[in-house]
Amino acid sequence: MPDPDALKSRAQDRQPLATPAGERPDAGHPHVSSGAAAMAGDVPAVSIRGLSKQYRHPWTQKITRGLEPLDLEVRRGEVFGYLGPNGAGKTTTLKILTGLLKPTSGTAMILGEPIERVSSRARIGFLPEQPYFYDSLTGVEYLEFVARLSGMAGRDATRAARAWLAKVGLGERERMVLRKYSKGMLQRLGLAAAMVHGPELLILDEPMSGLDPFGRRDVRDLILEQRERGTTVLFSSHILPDVEALCDRVAILLEGRLERVANVGDLVEGSSPVVEVHVEGGRVFEIPVKLAPVVERSDTGGFTGLRLREPERLQELLAWLLSERIAVHAVTPVRPSLEQLFMAAAEKSAFHAQGVRRPA
Amino acid sequence: MIALLVARNTFREVVRDRVLMALVIGGLVLLLGTRLASPLAMGEGLRLTVDLGLSSISWLGLLVVLTVGTALVSKEIDRKTIFNLLSRPLPRPFYLIGKWLGLTVALATVAGILGVALWLMLVLLGHAAYAGSIAEAVFLATLELAVINSLAVMFSALSTPLLSALYTLGFFLGGQWCADLRLLAARCPGSLRMLLEGTANVLPNLPLFNMRTLAASGELTSWTHLAIASVYALLYCGCVLSLASAAFESRDFK
Repeated sequence: MPDPDALKSRAQDRQPLATPAGERPDAGHPHVSSGAAAMAGDVPAVSIRGLSKQYRHPWTQKITRGLEPLDLEVRRGEVFGYLGPNGAGKTTTLKILTGLLKPTSGTAMILGEPIERVSSRARIGFLPEQPYFYDSLTGVEYLEFVARLSGMAGRDATRAARAWLAKVGLGERERMVLRKYSKGMLQRLGLAAAMVHGPELLILDEPMSGLDPFGRRDVRDLILEQRERGTTVLFSSHILPDVEALCDRVAILLEGRLERVANVGDLVEGSSPVVEVHVEGGRVFEIPVKLAPVVERSDTGGFTGLRLREPERLQELLAWLLSERIAVHAVTPVRPSLEQLFMAAAEKSAFHAQGVRRPA
Repeated sequence: MIALLVARNTFREVVRDRVLMALVIGGLVLLLGTRLASPLAMGEGLRLTVDLGLSSISWLGLLVVLTVGTALVSKEIDRKTIFNLLSRPLPRPFYLIGKWLGLTVALATVAGILGVALWLMLVLLGHAAYAGSIAEAVFLATLELAVINSLAVMFSALSTPLLSALYTLGFFLGGQWCADLRLLAARCPGSLRMLLEGTANVLPNLPLFNMRTLAASGELTSWTHLAIASVYALLYCGCVLSLASAAFESRDFK
């Protein structure tokens, strides 16, 4: 069934965003109800309403908030980035969705099925953060085992296990026990385990964690390939350039609270751009009073950089530079990266939190 | 069916563990040791060989349960291997049943290997007729190990390996003396009697699985005894695993 090559060829015949469940490689899956299959086109991949999680210390009874009430929807076929610093509640959310944590309140549906139903996990593939495996199994044995747990029949599971092991570059190590795998190899195996049964929704917790640049590129390619075949991907990551390159939309989570959900393009496009003007270095000059509030000066090497925060005043700045006979080497419009926007949101949130704590 | 997948994986994990291999080799050495000690038994060498041989099967099995069984689930939680399983359409009770079944089959395999080794030793000594009694004794010892293993899996699912081992050992020792506990209860007044009887009912009735003395004489036990022991073991394991499942169902895996 989910032989990667077969999936690839099948994917070409498919509309990526509205793949009928019946045509998927896991069609006839024992855990996929016909009702769920009928609804497949209409329902979001993930639908979360008021989901929260609190932890109570068993001795002190002190309550720690893991996740504030969260509303979120992940559409079918999109790659959705879930961002936030450590302790923001990303892993908590993903673990609730995969049944590893019980929510304190709220509801969540996966592909139209409530997460309380075990069958809701039949059509998802999950990669936990820093996945661990059984030391004494081989790669093929492990993949075959998890594929069968997800409902594949014996022979199909073996075939898919071999194909996926080869696909993640571990095909030559079929008989090697997992205790001899490197960290990067284990991460690749974890990805293969998440995809071996051809899931409709991939939930990846820090999939790039611990990988070298080549490994990261491979993971990026795998995610893009999954998007091509119509799989929804929800992943958390700290590596923001990867998120920016892969995601259609992102959610930013800070201190257990959802700060923002937006299209990556809108987020970056909608932010205020700046213009950097590189001029000859070594000249002594003073920025006129009118421009001083919107221009930042930095001297590096043989160049002087002028960072203009209001691009519409570029002509004014250039006119002044020409009048002062200062040679202009480059004028570069710069849009802030997702990383800068994320950091700004985090700083804003920290500032807000301090403000809340401050006595009136 | 899905529990069988977990059981198969658990069995594979356990039999590839060097600890188990070391214990099997240790058991075989112990069997040879019983033969070497038999001249000291003043004409009861054969009885001593059979009795010590069967005892070594039970004790080694208990050692496997205490070292492997009590960490069976907690190790998976600590090492987070459980994340990869429970995030799939695997109901938690089936996971526990699979873990228990896998180790029980491994224990049965160890008991079987040591039982066959004991029988071969007796064949070499010209006592092949002990085959039936040894087979019955090994069968009952396996049931006993299955019962103790169910307790180990329950404690392992809810506690640390060290505490699980202590609780399991406590239940094993208590279970060995549960008949004495009942006798004591009969002599006690009112509420103490009820408490002791309740405790004796909760503890596994392990003497039911002990036919070493009979086997040492080359005697067979009745089919009724075997049937009662089998049904009791099945019911006890079922109750323990149901309790474990109920508690495990609501557990968070951080």
